[in-house]
Amino acid sequence: MTALAIRSFNFATKSRSGLLVVIALLVLLFFFGALISDRFRSVSNLLNVFEQSTGLALVSLGQTLTVLTGGIDLSVGSMISLLSVLMSGTIDGEAARVLPVCIGILVLGAAIGSLNGLTVIWLRVHPLIVTLGMGALLQGVTLLYTLGPAGSVPFEFDYVAYGRLLGLPVGAVFTIALFILVALFLRYVPFGRAIYAVGDDEIGARLMGLPRKRVLVFVYAFSGICCALTAIYLVGRFGVGNVYTGQNYTLASITPVVVGGTMLTGGRGGVIGTLFGVYLISLLNNLLNFMDISSHYQLIVQGLIIILAVSVYVEKKRAV
Amino acid sequence: MQQAVQSKSMSSDTNSKKLSDFGARYGIHLALLGLIVLSSIVSPAFLTANNVSNMLLQAAPLGIVVIGQAFVILVRGLDLSVASVMATAAVVATSFDGQPGDVVPIILVALAIGVATGLANGLLVAKRNVSPFLATLATMIVLQGIRFAYTGGAPSGNVPHFFRIIGSETVYGLPYNVIILAIIAAFFWVLLHKSVFGRQVYITGGNPSVARLVGMNADRVIIICYVISGTLAAIAGLVLSGFVGIVDNWVGRGMELDSIVAAVMGGIALSGGRGTIVGGLIGAAILVVVFNAVLLFGMPVQFQIIIKGIVIVIAAAFYVKRGA
Repeated sequence: MTALAIRSFNFATKSRSGLLVVIALLVLLFFFGALISDRFRSVSNLLNVFEQSTGLALVSLGQTLTVLTGGIDLSVGSMISLLSVLMSGTIDGEAARVLPVCIGILVLGAAIGSLNGLTVIWLRVHPLIVTLGMGALLQGVTLLYTLGPAGSVPFEFDYVAYGRLLGLPVGAVFTIALFILVALFLRYVPFGRAIYAVGDDEIGARLMGLPRKRVLVFVYAFSGICCALTAIYLVGRFGVGNVYTGQNYTLASITPVVVGGTMLTGGRGGVIGTLFGVYLISLLNNLLNFMDISSHYQLIVQGLIIILAVSVYVEKKRAV
Repeated sequence: MQQAVQSKSMSSDTNSKKLSDFGARYGIHLALLGLIVLSSIVSPAFLTANNVSNMLLQAAPLGIVVIGQAFVILVRGLDLSVASVMATAAVVATSFDGQPGDVVPIILVALAIGVATGLANGLLVAKRNVSPFLATLATMIVLQGIRFAYTGGAPSGNVPHFFRIIGSETVYGLPYNVIILAIIAAFFWVLLHKSVFGRQVYITGGNPSVARLVGMNADRVIIICYVISGTLAAIAGLVLSGFVGIVDNWVGRGMELDSIVAAVMGGIALSGGRGTIVGGLIGAAILVVVFNAVLLFGMPVQFQIIIKGIVIVIAAAFYVKRGA
């Protein structure tokens, strides 16, 4: 039974339709939940899950691109924390400052991300170490800036999280649009395809004259921008930025990427898989809540999902 | 072709190569020495017996974890689950009544958790080809969940007196936990540098395919390395629980990163097959001295994290240049 399940999983992933597996799991999960609880399948609950998945989706989008190049960004959590305290600290309740500060936060996110990418290139140190170091540095700077929640944003700013567009949460809709844009970019723009090439075979990509350095700077800068968007969303949602807002996102952002079928070795996968990975995890956590399973067990389930996902997607052949 | 170029450049500047070799081999020792000299010049409080004893007390748990981390990194791995194992061992230490008779069962249960976690990590990495980052991340999360579920979020209870002694007391000015570290370090130094298994670790880390071709059981070597790491993390957790005295769910938090930072600073290459236990321990010592110096110099405590972040990148860059 298990062997059969594994074999069918292997078949599904080999035929490049890993995406279908995730979607199938999502549908299965939904029907399972709908059988158990009436409130779970209610439109308001599903909209709620949709709305709450926005933060994780945005970070994971940037994370997917760094992972596609064979790298990783472990500075995302600290970056979100820093950007969110800076944002609510500088806005400080003034409605007029919202737009310029948001733009500033996006630029700052891009700049910090670029610095990650440039350091990877200049020092030839593995991205894991570079972004780990950057994460520590940013967390230190955050705590130097403030030791608790800083400033505030105007009440109306919660529109980015709770506002509705045709009855759907604004932030979540924006996120889907962004995912689709990035997916098209990766598929049809040469530079986007170069991201896959760099991750799949770095030396080959260099020999073919692909702009490896520009690709690396771009993906880390993009990850920084995604962190800034997450910070904006979270500040909108909570009304204030806090020093540990982003903490859990560092490792949490990797789970949907892996569940969505993007290989940590680089060059394989895509953002749409990540988006469904995010929905799968969000829906699962929501369902566990409805089943009255404490958040402690949700952790266990999340760990088991990672193990399951990586075991399913493994396909790298061993040399000997 | 490439070899010819290399040998030519080698013969042309043997001296500079010797110098860089020296720097690569002893740079970390010199860095620690320089740091100690600098700190004692800037702050007279640095080299007092009290402060040194304090630093040693803090260094011991980290040192124990670094030894395990070293084995894992040597076989091209990474163990993110060490902090979770440490906290779980610490929670176990308080789960009994705190009576002297509980010491042996506590040690056995904690070690069993460490071994089991290491085994799970090793099997996932060696047998399922899962990337070490993800495998140990997953076991970290699972273990954390189990711990939370077991304690209901807030552990309570007393650490038995025995662990208080080994965790925080000294004999002739030498902390017990440093003695434990020394014994462990000596044992694993012999294992890594003087035994057949140690050779196998280096060969497996240097090139797993070659290891398999020469008939070694590379999978077994990798699994054993993860088990060593898990076991040592459990021991470190018990020692640390005695040091802090109270136990919460986060004893040892940050140790996974600190131990990796220490190992990388000590010259243990993340690409595997290169590095020594002594290097890792010196890396840990540097980390502790830097943390201590930040406070003695009157800098805000936040600089500990900032400096740690900068140091790890610079240290890693230092070793990369050498390899290229």
